[in-house]
Amino acid sequence: MASQINFNSEIPSIMHIDMNSAFASIEQQANPLLRGKPIAVVAYDSPGGCILASSIEAKRLGIKTGHRVRDAKAIYPKLITILADPNKYRQVHLAFRKILADYTNDFYPKSIDEFVLHFKNYHTFDYGLKNIAREIKHRIKSEIGDYLTVSVGIGPNRFLAKTASNLRKPDGLEEINKNNFLDVYAHMNLTDLHGINLRNEARLKSAHIHSVLDLYYATPQKLKIAFQSVLADYWHARLRGYEIDNTEFTRKSFGNSYSLPHSTGTKEEIFPILQKLVEKTGLRLRSNGYKATGIHLALRYRDHTFWHKGKSFKKSLFGSLEIYREMIKLLYEAPCKPIHTIHETCFGLISNKETQLQLFENVIEKENLVGSLDRINSRWGSFVITPARMVLAKNNVPERIAFGGIGEL
Amino acid sequence: MTQKISEPVSVSFTFDSLRRKVYPKWLVWNGKLYAIKKIGLHHTYREGRSLFHVFSVVSTTLFFRLILDTENLHWRLEEISDGLPN
Repeated sequence: MASQINFNSEIPSIMHIDMNSAFASIEQQANPLLRGKPIAVVAYDSPGGCILASSIEAKRLGIKTGHRVRDAKAIYPKLITILADPNKYRQVHLAFRKILADYTNDFYPKSIDEFVLHFKNYHTFDYGLKNIAREIKHRIKSEIGDYLTVSVGIGPNRFLAKTASNLRKPDGLEEINKNNFLDVYAHMNLTDLHGINLRNEARLKSAHIHSVLDLYYATPQKLKIAFQSVLADYWHARLRGYEIDNTEFTRKSFGNSYSLPHSTGTKEEIFPILQKLVEKTGLRLRSNGYKATGIHLALRYRDHTFWHKGKSFKKSLFGSLEIYREMIKLLYEAPCKPIHTIHETCFGLISNKETQLQLFENVIEKENLVGSLDRINSRWGSFVITPARMVLAKNNVPERIAFGGIGEL
Repeated sequence: MTQKISEPVSVSFTFDSLRRKVYPKWLVWNGKLYAIKKIGLHHTYREGRSLFHVFSVVSTTLFFRLILDTENLHWRLEEISDGLPN
């Protein structure tokens, strides 16, 4: 029978840094006239556009990430909307990295606005994590921007460090350790724990676990009954400060999506947009050193229905043109009606150093041609050489920045 | 309100060798001189191999997004804003 373990007694050595309202704060940093005002960074400045980040002032009004612009403006009609500017966010992210690298080499970005730092076995550990955190906060203001704030959490594992960073926002600095964890847990709800959503909460409540303290004190057997999976062991260890979240996930696919502002439902209107999406995906695929052995196309229609289909190949795909041709074949199988969002993905990634020669096609010649086109586009700017069809896509499919995917920064 | 401009602009630019800082001091746009009170953010981006420096700055009442093209050292005023909703 599994037994309870005690809380990790080691001095916390992990720090989680979370930039507050990242994209919105960076916009307020860039334009001081926006400071202190409710603003929202949006993907599209239209009523149906999605809010990527809201400023601290907008959050106080209840305007959150994921809201539609029309819903946010119903809450606050004077809301200022700003189109996302990926170059700005990328540069601030890289400036963050530069500062953090002065304190430990063992750090990694969890997303564009979150970092996890490990200090064990680093001489800076002796300086004290709270002192380091204060210094980092000061340097962010003096070296990157005086309006930027971060919430810092310190804990014995990644989970508790992140939990600590959420305790006080904005500009927080909190630690969860063996001396205060019970007090912290006593003031939290189950859904305050990252990974416990409403469904999990209902599941826990059905097992008579109503609070974080109940979850902490629950025996492994009781947790197994509640979770019915290995998650029981994970939560048992997490809440006691032991590391079980140090898994690095490798990239499985490359893809792009686009929401059409208008759609008549003809395939012809989709071709140029699909071509541009595939050109972007193909370039990212190749510049990261991969080929794909599978493609996937997903369409969300304006009538709220959804269609998708994937296909795997024995050969590998690397040229945008061949990926596009295969995507078109999938597109012809899809129902013909007005489309809301188109999403294409390449999966089954293999290294581009592996070349499978073919009987009826000169693969090496094709690789050289695609490589030359990529080099020209890289020298003179993306899409200086493009298929003629892509001209029809005009300025559709603008550059976007991912919250989570920071590998390509 | 934000307004796209995208036109050449006259900018006075200074390098402070002691502080090792560079900053635009004033700009002339539409025949009017605007003294730059604060630099919000300075960032860069590339189009191909060409490097562009973007200075997000404010005068007393207006925000300016200035872009320096390092290929020809010409300045462009990309957009202005008064910090009010559109």
